Amino acid sequence: MILRLAGLRTLSRHPLQLVFGLVGVALGVAAVFSIDLANESARRAFRISSQTVAGKATHRIVGGPSGLEEALYATLRRHGFLRTIAPVVEGYARVPARPGITLHILGVDPFAEAPFRNYTPGTSAGADIPSLLTRPGTVLLLEDTAKRLGISPGDALPLRVGLETTHATLTGFLRPGDEVTRQALETTAVADISTAQELLGKVGRLSGIDLLIPGGAEGEEALSRIREILPPEAEILPAGARGSALEQMTRAFSLNLSALSLLALVVGMFLVYNTMTFSVLQRRQLVGTLRALGVTRGEVFVQILSEAAVLGAAGTVLGLPLGIFLGEFLLGMVTRSIGDLYFALSVREVSVTAATLFKAVGLGTFGAVAASLWPAHEATSTQPRDVMRRSAIETGVKKILPAISAAGAVLIFLGAGVQLVPSRSIPLSFGGLFSIVAGYALLAPGATTLLVRGIQPALAFAFGTQGTMAARSIPASISRTGVAAAALVVAVATTVGIGIMIDSFRRTVSDWLDHSLRSDIYVSPSRRT
Amino acid sequence: MGILSAGAAETPLVELRALTKSYPEGRGERVVFRDLSAGIRRGETVALLGRSGSGKSTLLNLIGGIDLPTAGEVLLDGTNLTRLSEQGRTLFRRRHIGLVFQSFNLIPTLTVMENLLLPLELNGRTGRPARTAALALLERVGLADRAKAYPDRLSGGEQQRVAVSRAVVHDPVLLLADEPTGSLDAGTGMRVLELLVGLARNERRTMVVVTHSDAVARATDRVLILRDGRLVDETFPGGAPA
Repeated sequence: MILRLAGLRTLSRHPLQLVFGLVGVALGVAAVFSIDLANESARRAFRISSQTVAGKATHRIVGGPSGLEEALYATLRRHGFLRTIAPVVEGYARVPARPGITLHILGVDPFAEAPFRNYTPGTSAGADIPSLLTRPGTVLLLEDTAKRLGISPGDALPLRVGLETTHATLTGFLRPGDEVTRQALETTAVADISTAQELLGKVGRLSGIDLLIPGGAEGEEALSRIREILPPEAEILPAGARGSALEQMTRAFSLNLSALSLLALVVGMFLVYNTMTFSVLQRRQLVGTLRALGVTRGEVFVQILSEAAVLGAAGTVLGLPLGIFLGEFLLGMVTRSIGDLYFALSVREVSVTAATLFKAVGLGTFGAVAASLWPAHEATSTQPRDVMRRSAIETGVKKILPAISAAGAVLIFLGAGVQLVPSRSIPLSFGGLFSIVAGYALLAPGATTLLVRGIQPALAFAFGTQGTMAARSIPASISRTGVAAAALVVAVATTVGIGIMIDSFRRTVSDWLDHSLRSDIYVSPSRRT
Repeated sequence: MGILSAGAAETPLVELRALTKSYPEGRGERVVFRDLSAGIRRGETVALLGRSGSGKSTLLNLIGGIDLPTAGEVLLDGTNLTRLSEQGRTLFRRRHIGLVFQSFNLIPTLTVMENLLLPLELNGRTGRPARTAALALLERVGLADRAKAYPDRLSGGEQQRVAVSRAVVHDPVLLLADEPTGSLDAGTGMRVLELLVGLARNERRTMVVVTHSDAVARATDRVLILRDGRLVDETFPGGAPA
């Protein structure tokens, strides 16, 4: 108790050092937490959206890139293998008046909808149905969405589909039965099949036909009979398959963000390491005294790690609100990027899950403890008489510097080897990349020592004794300067690497456009099909 | 060469058997002392006198189990410290030895009272009984009114009185003091020395003091003089024991 009190008071007696440590953990945690929140919120919203749109459908018939002939629906109805089938036309339209908002246009047959989706206007919804069926271009929106778009029933809603501008008319409001469905429909405009076909330029085509197949032999038989009359390009997918496929498309995107957030955490851990190393160096005499008084190595080790855990926990507590704040900001960027690259997605607020919270708390606390393992080991592995000497830690680090450098070289070779292996695995590639980054970080202290030794004569010539002192002080305190150098290496390498990557993407796209689009004028159909 | 105190028939509390201590230095090694033997009786106060670099502090570290000899054995109350593990020596030191340093080495983030409670807590004594014992000792050394003060608010003499109290609060059998008056002026130093010797003699506690001060040496029962890594002389300021 008294021992812990002494340690905690030591931290509070060096406020600036404490702030650096806290900031290191808080920034690392905030980076990881915010990106996880944004990713998870986007994924969750996407899942809800997919499930809501799919409704109670068990399967969907889908076609090639241009969908299905609408005649197929009529054929299926005529054969009567299954009564519970519903046609769907889907697509996306931007709202020119509200940049950044993309509407998911969902065309349905109101008479076939009731068994599938509870938010679509079945016959019980009453008043909105006749106008949806009889007036061309009419859509239903959530009342909140209409307010955000600044329109009321009867107002025109300008839309942009591909290169074409078109208009829809708001005829009424969707009335979802629960909050989850309401969230999923925030950017969905429900229309009659024919209206959706016209708005999206898919006249005569369907995006899919939803099926509600009963379980057991009866269902299997219905499926096999439907398959018999399907055209070659059509197939029947289970309801979850489409969502999984789309989710896989965004996996690489999410993984990239997660890897970058982990990199931020690594840099944060460097800050914690430096804080704890400073703290241990400052307390070497104190540790020596404690050891002389009969405090065991294990007790001192646990003491230092406990302080790191407290620092980590406090930094995590500070980092979590910052993470939520950043997460809300990032969420907009992530959903916009997903919208630009893949599909429209509406997420209004971040959702904190237990797993995300646990990961952030674990990384912050255990990361700080992990970053303190070496300083704690250094402080406790020497004899009390050596602990009294300030230079002992540096002597220890210098002894193992060649081994650290060798480990760095091995990691670089391993990482490079992984990159050379032909593989499409993103985690494997990131593993290789992190191995290279870690290798360079481990090489940094040794390289710094060699570099400073190399420039020492020049510094001595230019600045005399002061230059010599400055040059010698860096290798003399390599346990701290080496880590600072490693942190800088990681930070600069990341900045330069990402800059080069983005620039390469831009150049590649630019070169591709230059080579591909050589004509002066291009003629295209008025609507995408 | 060895010097064993008078009264050798009684088993000494501290036995140093053929101690050799050397350190690597450059490509060779520096021998601090070689084949040194001595014994210290229970309840005896002994001064290790010698010039700087004569090996006094090194010998004190060996007696306290802080360091290990290159060769030879250190026995304390029958326990061979050189055969104990590092952990074993630390725990032995915790229970049986009190240390006083030249530069006080109080824990700066603990109050005077908490500094005294630390050895008690390490030995499993906590709560009100521990506080009562610590306060009683502080009253004895005249610092009860400074119990809640941090060390940096105390004078050098007061800090060393706290350090002395911390060294004896857990009732160790052996008290080791390394230049306890070295950082104090002559008058304050003598008062601290009187306190230290008084606390040792009143409880019949064995004490070894490293010093290069004749005045400090004269306050002890026996003086061992170290020169060039050897115990070259032994004197009894109060007269040789019978």
